[in-house]
Amino acid sequence: MMPVRTRLGLACALLLGAALLTACSRSEPPTKGGPVTVRRLTEAQYRNVIADVFGPQIVVAGRFDPIVRTEGLLAVGASRASITPSGVERFAALARSIAQQVVAPGNRELLIPCRPAAPGAADDACATKFFQQAGRLLYRRAVTADDLAGPVRIARTAALARQDFHAGLAYGLQGMLTSPEFLFIAESAEPDPADKNLLRLDAYSRASRLSFMLWNTTPDAMLLDAAARGELADADGVAAQVDRLMASPRFTQGVRAFFTDMLSLDDFSTLEKDSLIYPAFGLAAAEDSREQVLRTLIDELIAREGDYRDIFTTRRTFMTVPLGMVYRVPATRPGGWAPFEFEEGDPRAGIQTQLSFVALHSHPGKSSPTLRGKAIRELLLCQKVPDPPGNVNFDRFNDPKSPNKTARLRLAAHATDPACAGCHKLMDPIGLALENFDGAGQIRLTENGERIDASGELNGFKFADARGLGQAMREDPAATSCVVRRAYTYAAGRPIEKGERDWMADLEQSFADDGYRLRPLLRRIALSKALQSIAKPKPELSAGGPT
Amino acid sequence: MLTLRRRSLGAGLALLLASAAAAAPSTGGPQTLAYVIANFNNAVYETQFMDECPEGPAIGNDEMWWRGLSRADKDKLTDNGLVQPVDRRFISVLRGPKGEDVCWNPTVVKEPPLRTVQGSVSYGFNLDGSNDDRATPKSCPHRNFVSERGAPGVDNQMYRLLGCHYGWRRNGVLDTFGNEERRNSGRGVILMEITNVTDPRNSPEVRVAFYRAADPFSIDATGRILPYASYRVDSNAGKPRYGAVARGRIVNGVLITEPIDAKLPFYANSAFAEIQLRDMRLEMDLTVSPEGKVQGLVGGYYDFDKWWEYMLKIEFLIATGDWSCPALYTAARELADGYPDPKTGECTAISSAFKIDALPAFAIHTTPVEARR
Repeated sequence: MMPVRTRLGLACALLLGAALLTACSRSEPPTKGGPVTVRRLTEAQYRNVIADVFGPQIVVAGRFDPIVRTEGLLAVGASRASITPSGVERFAALARSIAQQVVAPGNRELLIPCRPAAPGAADDACATKFFQQAGRLLYRRAVTADDLAGPVRIARTAALARQDFHAGLAYGLQGMLTSPEFLFIAESAEPDPADKNLLRLDAYSRASRLSFMLWNTTPDAMLLDAAARGELADADGVAAQVDRLMASPRFTQGVRAFFTDMLSLDDFSTLEKDSLIYPAFGLAAAEDSREQVLRTLIDELIAREGDYRDIFTTRRTFMTVPLGMVYRVPATRPGGWAPFEFEEGDPRAGIQTQLSFVALHSHPGKSSPTLRGKAIRELLLCQKVPDPPGNVNFDRFNDPKSPNKTARLRLAAHATDPACAGCHKLMDPIGLALENFDGAGQIRLTENGERIDASGELNGFKFADARGLGQAMREDPAATSCVVRRAYTYAAGRPIEKGERDWMADLEQSFADDGYRLRPLLRRIALSKALQSIAKPKPELSAGGPT
Repeated sequence: MLTLRRRSLGAGLALLLASAAAAAPSTGGPQTLAYVIANFNNAVYETQFMDECPEGPAIGNDEMWWRGLSRADKDKLTDNGLVQPVDRRFISVLRGPKGEDVCWNPTVVKEPPLRTVQGSVSYGFNLDGSNDDRATPKSCPHRNFVSERGAPGVDNQMYRLLGCHYGWRRNGVLDTFGNEERRNSGRGVILMEITNVTDPRNSPEVRVAFYRAADPFSIDATGRILPYASYRVDSNAGKPRYGAVARGRIVNGVLITEPIDAKLPFYANSAFAEIQLRDMRLEMDLTVSPEGKVQGLVGGYYDFDKWWEYMLKIEFLIATGDWSCPALYTAARELADGYPDPKTGECTAISSAFKIDALPAFAIHTTPVEARR
């Protein structure tokens, strides 16, 4: 059999245009594969799946257990998430609500592919047809007779008890929606015919990886059909599906989900600002600032197919009235979004100067150079900053009678403590560059009457202000390396393995060769052998071994 | 689609943070500032002990009505005195000889003269250019005030007329409710746009346009109007529905406009009322207060008929505002001091002044297509 890598190259050469050749022609360094993952659906994925399977009219009203961010991503945390007893109750309540809406008059005519022989009685044939159709999309694979037996039995029993076919169907669907088969994306592997030392994801698992990576939702019928036909074992088939997925408007939804995760934008759900100090930063401004950065990124990286590094220096963004009141700029389309460009020389340049960053990584009533510096290190440069010691003393920093009027001076006094100084050196010189933005992200020149010094340094690159910080980040190879690593980790749903270092280096180089454009990067990851390679499990320990 | 740029840190921030005006984007030339008027109050000069009203507060409609009733009628009409003035206002205005509404027919009864302001100090402008009380080509004989800073010739007969009514004094129900209602409804929002600003502290020749905003106020969770919001100019087929333009100048941070005849959109106390001012002028200090506002004074000759039309629209507030239509109307006719009718010699407008609070904002001019969205 022709090696996968060779077949991929040939397929690309034959099928794709010149623009995509670069993405395909590079040979992929071998990896040793990673583990299969079992990922819990995130809230966004759950909502997307329900909307895709049953329609956007189905209201998903409920709360979800949080997922712990791991390796910088919720996507990785999802593979380590369980469901608590209270979480089970919540999923059950959601399932009940969704199922009742699906079978309700008005929806049932659209969503149930058959009519029962008698509406007041059970109808196994019709129920089976419905569960087959919905189950395939919910379970992301072909449904088996075993999968159907339970829901059909429940539907029959409940229909007889309630003398209502649709009420019975709702109970059966509720069971499907609370099944681990739905709530967890459980991958499975099969022998890799191209490499006897590796396994590879089976077709349906690969379909799920691609769909959740590129659309953040369940595979659609066409992708599942391709999996069923075995086309995802074939490079051409994979390429065809990846290109279809990336050509869809839903690709934007996938990219938004990736950056929502990478930039930790879920933190907006708990963002609070003191309305007395920052009256302009209300709920609408908070919601819009989250949306603003996503619109900026989609515009720069997808619509314009721009250089990823430019997100740290771009003056282009989008504006609403609530945002305009914080930025103190006009919003040309009250009631909606309008393109906006800050003037050359304005301190607002780059996503790190947008509210989604400077307001999010601040305290409720004041800015925080430390939080901002930490966020830049961890979210945008993928550099871990150690947690502060448990007995850290903020008295000197928070002293209202301190003669040190600016955060720079207060931090300098605070950092004289050797236990604090090491980490603050990593964070403060970066975060202080953003001190011209207060805790709500509004521009200011002074703090307590003292002019703010926004100079700083990032990895040897010195700068005078926030714009300079953006330039420094643009030139820092850690920034581009970070998005590459995050994108792959996000797609795989697991941390990068030791055996993937060459692959990462190659991916970073290809990202540079492609002009740091996101679309080729994501395509390369989606098509990669690494993404579907699974390491063979280590032999289990024999009885009597270490426990 | 319109894309705007904001000014650079050097010029933009100096403008935003020093004068703290809302500067519309510019590419380095003259700038545009805009403000939205939050409060629009009759300029009433008040002393601590109401010395300007030596006869005391003006007598309201209810008292006038009450005085004319027999004891038996009082019992009968007020359930032995238990019905409060605010609830009996509907019958208390029907006290014409034939039961006419005395607001719509203010001359059918004769009432004691209105208690008017007798003080000598007032806010306002010298509208007729004269420092004495004699008539001029544009004014009838009237008593001038001096300004609170001692300038002579201040014309503000509206103050003389209304200044002894609790309803129009500080925290009185009429202007206070009017401002609150305008804030909550978003109706009648006045938007000012100052163009050709070469320096926010001193600009020799600017133009000031007075528009109606097509968008409601942006307010925070506590109901405060927020600065730096964007408001569309209310337009029809690309032409602003309101758009009086005055020439002016900025001197040491104070905007001063030249007189124009203008119509201002207005909504207060559940009433749409166009304020029609002749020789309207504005003086506004562009320095933003810690609360985020700028303050100014608008003055001009208020068209009498337009003003009385508004008074009729808010007749339902006569008990809480505590005025009496016949006395007020008669006094207003006597005090009207602007623009004498060439035939009758009777003045058709009354000198007025209004204190305004405004917030920095952005005026958005939309195309007809955008306006329809």
